[in-house]
Amino acid sequence: MTPLDSTPQKAARDDPNESQTSLRVTVNGKQLRTLVPDRLLLSDFLREDLGLTALKVACGEGACGACTIVIDGEAARSCTLLAVQTEGAEILTLEGLNAPEGLDHVQRLFQQHHALQCGYCTPGWLMTVYSMIKRSIHPDSAEVSEYLSGHLCRCTGYRNIWAAVRRALGAANDQSVSGRE
Amino acid sequence: MTKKTTKAIALPRSRRYVGEAVLRAEDQELLRGRGGFLPDLAAPNAAEICIVRSTEPHAIVRAIRKERALANPGVIAILTANDLDLVEDVLPCVDMIPGTLDARHRVIARERVRYVGQAVALVVAANRYLAEDAAALVEIEYESLPPVTDHMAAKNPGAPLLYPELGTNIVYQVKQTDGDPDFAARDGDLVIRKRYEFHRQTAVPLETRGVTAKLIDNGERLHVESCTQLPQVLRAVLASAFGISLEKVRVTAPRLGGGFGCKEMVYPEEILVPAAARKLQRPVRWLEDRREHFASATHAREETVDAEAVVARDGAFIGLRLTGWSNIGAAFGFVGNTPITAMGAMVRGPYRVPNLDAVMSSVVTNKTPLNVLRGAGGPQAALVMERLLDEAARSLGMDRAEIRRRNLIQPNELPLDRGATGFANAHHIIYDEGDYPRCLEAGLNLAEYENCESDRKAAAARGRLRGLGISMYVEITAVGPYETARIALQPDGTILLFSSIMPVGQGSETTQRQLVAEELGIAMEQVAIRQGDTDEVPDAVGTFASRGAAAGGAAGRMVGRELVKKILSSFAEIPDCDPSKLRWEEGGVVILGPPREFIPLQEIPARLASLRGDLEPGTIEAKHRIEIPRPSYSYATHIAVIEIDPETGELKIPRYIVAHDCGKIVNPLLVEGQIVGGVVQGIGEVLREHVVYDTSGNLQTRALMDYVLPGASDAPADFKLWHMETPSSFNPFGIRGVGEGGSIGAHAAMANAVADALRDYDVAVDGSGPFTPTWIMEALSRPPRVSVSEKI
Repeated sequence: MTPLDSTPQKAARDDPNESQTSLRVTVNGKQLRTLVPDRLLLSDFLREDLGLTALKVACGEGACGACTIVIDGEAARSCTLLAVQTEGAEILTLEGLNAPEGLDHVQRLFQQHHALQCGYCTPGWLMTVYSMIKRSIHPDSAEVSEYLSGHLCRCTGYRNIWAAVRRALGAANDQSVSGRE
Repeated sequence: MTKKTTKAIALPRSRRYVGEAVLRAEDQELLRGRGGFLPDLAAPNAAEICIVRSTEPHAIVRAIRKERALANPGVIAILTANDLDLVEDVLPCVDMIPGTLDARHRVIARERVRYVGQAVALVVAANRYLAEDAAALVEIEYESLPPVTDHMAAKNPGAPLLYPELGTNIVYQVKQTDGDPDFAARDGDLVIRKRYEFHRQTAVPLETRGVTAKLIDNGERLHVESCTQLPQVLRAVLASAFGISLEKVRVTAPRLGGGFGCKEMVYPEEILVPAAARKLQRPVRWLEDRREHFASATHAREETVDAEAVVARDGAFIGLRLTGWSNIGAAFGFVGNTPITAMGAMVRGPYRVPNLDAVMSSVVTNKTPLNVLRGAGGPQAALVMERLLDEAARSLGMDRAEIRRRNLIQPNELPLDRGATGFANAHHIIYDEGDYPRCLEAGLNLAEYENCESDRKAAAARGRLRGLGISMYVEITAVGPYETARIALQPDGTILLFSSIMPVGQGSETTQRQLVAEELGIAMEQVAIRQGDTDEVPDAVGTFASRGAAAGGAAGRMVGRELVKKILSSFAEIPDCDPSKLRWEEGGVVILGPPREFIPLQEIPARLASLRGDLEPGTIEAKHRIEIPRPSYSYATHIAVIEIDPETGELKIPRYIVAHDCGKIVNPLLVEGQIVGGVVQGIGEVLREHVVYDTSGNLQTRALMDYVLPGASDAPADFKLWHMETPSSFNPFGIRGVGEGGSIGAHAAMANAVADALRDYDVAVDGSGPFTPTWIMEALSRPPRVSVSEKI
């Protein structure tokens, strides 16, 4: 637990009249105490101020899931929360999940199933899969569809994401094999 | 020839990568959240830009007042058209043909705005929050003009004119003919007349657009970073916009979070943001938000096509007469006339239809400019043909598969000249090799077509309306005119490929390396790749039209071949070395003996240095430019099986089948990814996605809550693929493109499936829908159907 320096946030530096609030939050295991502008979005706080750019902002209204992080053990959208709303919370981003190097089990399954193309939405999916595993969601349960419906992917058509997620939840490999002449 | 003895090592079995399901190396970074997308890159000291956009669909700009905004905290500058010294302020359109009127897009509105979302002013501030605050305070005084949003109204005399100086809203027209364009129906022929409507859609890559700009090299050069599929094109446009030489501009494009055609464009912001950097002499950044994206990133697909098909009693299509109008919005996109041109050019797909008479037009309206989207007009063209085939089969009492069999071009007819395309590059369409009938049968077999009527009865017993839709298409891929690549054998013995192809999610980082590794007979791990930097690859065509693997990959593989020649000639220049005894084999240089010697790639630079007596190993570079006189043509059969719940209008897709031929497959894993992704995108487009304007030109769909993309539960439950692999003789490595076909086939297959499911109702499936639950419930409330075709 390394306390970080308390530095005024960028917006406040630029406008001294910006209303600010003290925030105490744990991000990827590190305790932070800082002042944040009241209106600073959590996604901007994490991406711009802390440099945690794995999460993506793709819709800005909680519709696509690309900004998903884990707050106090639950998958949550960071683009529709203010940073000040996370007072006292524990935040986990993909950077906090990553192994020191290489890919972990779930990430490897995504690679093996070609469950990503442009990769922009991928960190969001991984955070949701992480929280599904934590909650021991059964691969055949109807909840899987509910969890996955919170994310949009424009590239893959979802087939391979389904396969990778089901494997991550403990299902046998059910990827179908295509025919060739 | 050398004092140092090199042991002749056992040659490794030559590595074979082409055709293998190689896992993507780029996934390592992407899965760790380190994709390095434009918004992720640090932009030190960059001021942030918010663009003030027109809220009026059509108006004269009377005044722009900046004072209140300028007084806001953190504001650095507010720039309008008059503040920017642009030498050239029109954006390129490359599909203008003789006779096309100049409706090119302007970088920034001057006296007139023509669509909601058009850039009017730039607010530069210390951060995005402050820039948005100030943008709300910029006052623009508009004098409203009557808007026109419907292209079928806009094309008529008397409609409000977007460009009064042109005297018309019809700005582009192309005539496309083949066989006898004056063909007429004979006694007994079936004549089908239909109007097909295609609704407006948009690409929605999950990454929106963004541009950063700064001065580099002591302020001598401009560095622009942009989310573009066309970095080299953008560089040229920037140089002419600012009246500076090409060398003064560097464009880089990082990995894209999806493109789908909407980033195959040079956008106003890509000039405006650098203009601000030059004006203010400081780094600036603009990151588009999703609301801006819906209003200002290009839209797609909207067109109307009147079709007349003449069909003989035996089901043979004699001719097609088509008149089409595309709603291209307020100005040309980079290739905004291409989709409507593709209608006349590609409508006949794999079917013979010997006679064609088509006239296609682009009409300007007060909407966001239109450009290509995955498939580039192919989805609409296939839908027209495939709906006509089903209509003809129904009228003639023929089986739907049988009428297709009767019209398909046979393998012995290929290659086949299909007449002038009307495309700006003036190519005739000449289909390359293929076996369309076998592709149809493969699809029918996988779909168990013979059971479709009994499946329909079984579904009815469960209270579901089941339908099956067949579609086929032929798609232009791998278009030219050329592509380039550069390669370097570096001093440490590794290969660095500078590719002209942008990574947009298609896996080009892997496929390009596969091709080079295969060519050189080395391990893929020995090949690194760099993409998207005009300092490294100054001249290239770009990433679009399913040309990445076929055109860019061919250039990459050929440049590998050039490198081998250079390496061998480097050895040949060494005095003691007999050129006739040099070979390239299995990833290294072989010097035929005795004694036979093998120098693997990684040892070549050091070895050459020692042979030459150089102090340090050097770099060996090669460049290649491949000419691509003819595109190659992919084709496929799609079969969609759907079930509709008549109580709710909900539509499910229990099965989806694709049998396809994209020539030589470089990586089947990625090919399947492209097909499945394209199909689901196409399904979303016909079931749900719809860019909606009200009649006065206000954009209604401005967020992902309004414009609903397909989600995980919308994917077909059972997806079956069948690969055919007929090499194309038009490509040096037999490759055809595969990035877009999924979307092309899906529109038509889904429309035919919907029509089949609802065949007992009087409902016309004359276009792309979208076939929403509301649309379906309305259709189910209709009385039983009556025939719409006439017989002469």
